[in-house]
Amino acid sequence: MKTVVIYLFVVVFGCLSACVEKPDFDQFDDIDAIPTIDASLIYVESPERIINQAGGINFYSQDFVFDPFNEDFVQERLVDAIIRYEVDNTTSKPLDFTVELLDAGDNVLDTENFDIAPAPSPILIREITYGPGGRPLDILRNTVTVRLSATNLGDNTSVSSLPDPKIIIRSSARFRIRLK
Amino acid sequence: MKIRAASILVIVLIHGLAISQNREILYDFDEIPGALMLNPGMKISYQWYAGVPGLSGIGINAGTSGATVHDIFADDGVDINQKIRERAINGMTKRDELSGTFQVNLLQGGFRAANNTRNFYSFGWYLEGDAIGYWPKDLADLAWDGNADQLGRRFDLGHLKTRGELLSVFHFGINHIYNPKLILGARAKIYSIPLHMAASNNQGHFVTTAGQNNIFSHTLVADMLARSSGINEIRNALEDDSVDELAEVRKILTKRSLLGGDLGFGIDLGFTYDLNESWVVTGSLLDLGLSFHSTDPWNYTLDGNITTEGVEVILPDALADPDSEFWEDLVDEIEGMVPFEEDNDSYISFRPTKLYGSVRHNFGEPLSTVGVRSADCNCTDQAAGSRRLITYTNSAGLQVFAVNRPRGPQTAITAFYTRRLGRLMQVKATYTADKFTKTNLGLGVNLQAGPIQFYAMVDNLLAFENLADTQYASFQIGLNIISWGR
Repeated sequence: MKTVVIYLFVVVFGCLSACVEKPDFDQFDDIDAIPTIDASLIYVESPERIINQAGGINFYSQDFVFDPFNEDFVQERLVDAIIRYEVDNTTSKPLDFTVELLDAGDNVLDTENFDIAPAPSPILIREITYGPGGRPLDILRNTVTVRLSATNLGDNTSVSSLPDPKIIIRSSARFRIRLK
Repeated sequence: MKIRAASILVIVLIHGLAISQNREILYDFDEIPGALMLNPGMKISYQWYAGVPGLSGIGINAGTSGATVHDIFADDGVDINQKIRERAINGMTKRDELSGTFQVNLLQGGFRAANNTRNFYSFGWYLEGDAIGYWPKDLADLAWDGNADQLGRRFDLGHLKTRGELLSVFHFGINHIYNPKLILGARAKIYSIPLHMAASNNQGHFVTTAGQNNIFSHTLVADMLARSSGINEIRNALEDDSVDELAEVRKILTKRSLLGGDLGFGIDLGFTYDLNESWVVTGSLLDLGLSFHSTDPWNYTLDGNITTEGVEVILPDALADPDSEFWEDLVDEIEGMVPFEEDNDSYISFRPTKLYGSVRHNFGEPLSTVGVRSADCNCTDQAAGSRRLITYTNSAGLQVFAVNRPRGPQTAITAFYTRRLGRLMQVKATYTADKFTKTNLGLGVNLQAGPIQFYAMVDNLLAFENLADTQYASFQIGLNIISWGR
């Protein structure tokens, strides 16, 4: 019986002496889950022959719905963004390309204009920051329409000696979303 | 605030109440009726037993093979984001799991047949919850860091593997002494399943590469399926302001627990074989069964593949329709190529089958099961051999355990030593190695005071220094009334 009591004491004492270092769950508020997303946005391409065929100065203009940053989830959680443009002109003529961001009332929120030199010219790279230290983030949050317009500042007959001459505008976004 | 509370609750539940299915201390502890649930073919020395309703067997364990509560939430002055990065994002792999089971015996009893003492019948009703979630490594990386500067990396959607269910089980078993050396056992089970969810067979990937036209190319290949049954009705009840939500949920769960919802069927098998006077081997196969989900089933699928480089405006094609909606067309194309769909088709799920086995060496002074020297008691042949009633002061051996999991079997090996201390008490000490811990020392105590039998078991004793920092801990208790010899 004495042995039983001793064993019981050991077991019970062992259980009661279990410790739990008190966790600090308030740290949960400090969690920052903010992934950085890379995403292609808009790609525009026009061969030089189309520019020549257009005849006029403005060879392309179009408005279309573009609201990825206006979606509720993104709009509420967008931290900052960098829009990157790459303009590659292998045509023989100088061009002007404009990107306008419009809100639901068709008000222009932001304009990005590219004055593009004829070939041979280096690829024009431009990065626009939205958010802290850059343009207001609300520009992206409220954008629902994009207006693209391209203007030929040269002639309608010349053709570049480069193979398959064309104007190309690439764009992507690197943005951060606060998940927590 | 609700999100914060819910998130912390989930983390604590996962880390604190997650349970490994292994109940190595209880297994082969013949003096405890609850051990019959782990081996329907175990040696039974009593004539009948009755569990105290709700108290005859309660088990709570805790296990994680990855980060612990302490790892993340310790008050150590280290930035929690740094701890998450080091100990979860960089410290855990897709094989790390958070798994659990709880079991509460609501009703339990058994008796030896009067007309054929070779047979012992048992029956009962218990509640069980079972859940497992593997660390979704690639998806966690994507959520924490995003896809920036990860060109070419395939984020594996197959890392999402989880399943869980809540069920009540009605069972009836037979333990049969086949011959003096061999005892066989079988148990039939009816599962009544209030809740079930599974997303355990996902495939596919998401990858970002350098684009051919635009700057990036994004590819999504998905073959994903998530299923649930019983969850939507409860969610609707919780969102219904016109009723008492908790009362409604209780009503739904009670009804489904009493055969009013999804049903399933299964069996347990087991044996005990005496190799000789000292050596015994045992084995059991539990929950070989399946469930049919048709009460409130929902299936969610994401199936298809697409590669996109964003909106493409390519002249002269773009000039053909001046009203083109490039972005909306792209969204429609993605949704068409990789549709997210849901339906209410019934489905079948399989129970996580468990396997136990042991080799035991008995030694020391032989005793009758009531703790009296065998020479002093009348250990006559009540069934099929007096050896059945004889136990020994000491026994030691090895046990193995395996449970079928979505990412393959989860296994454990246990060394144990059992000692009888007088008439009242048996003690079992264990050492277990599994994926949760390699330092798991366990201790179980069984007390008998007349017809009252009480047991308590504690696992991973070394973790008691700081439970928040343990990767595995458990305890089990039970209270039964046992009739010996009559």
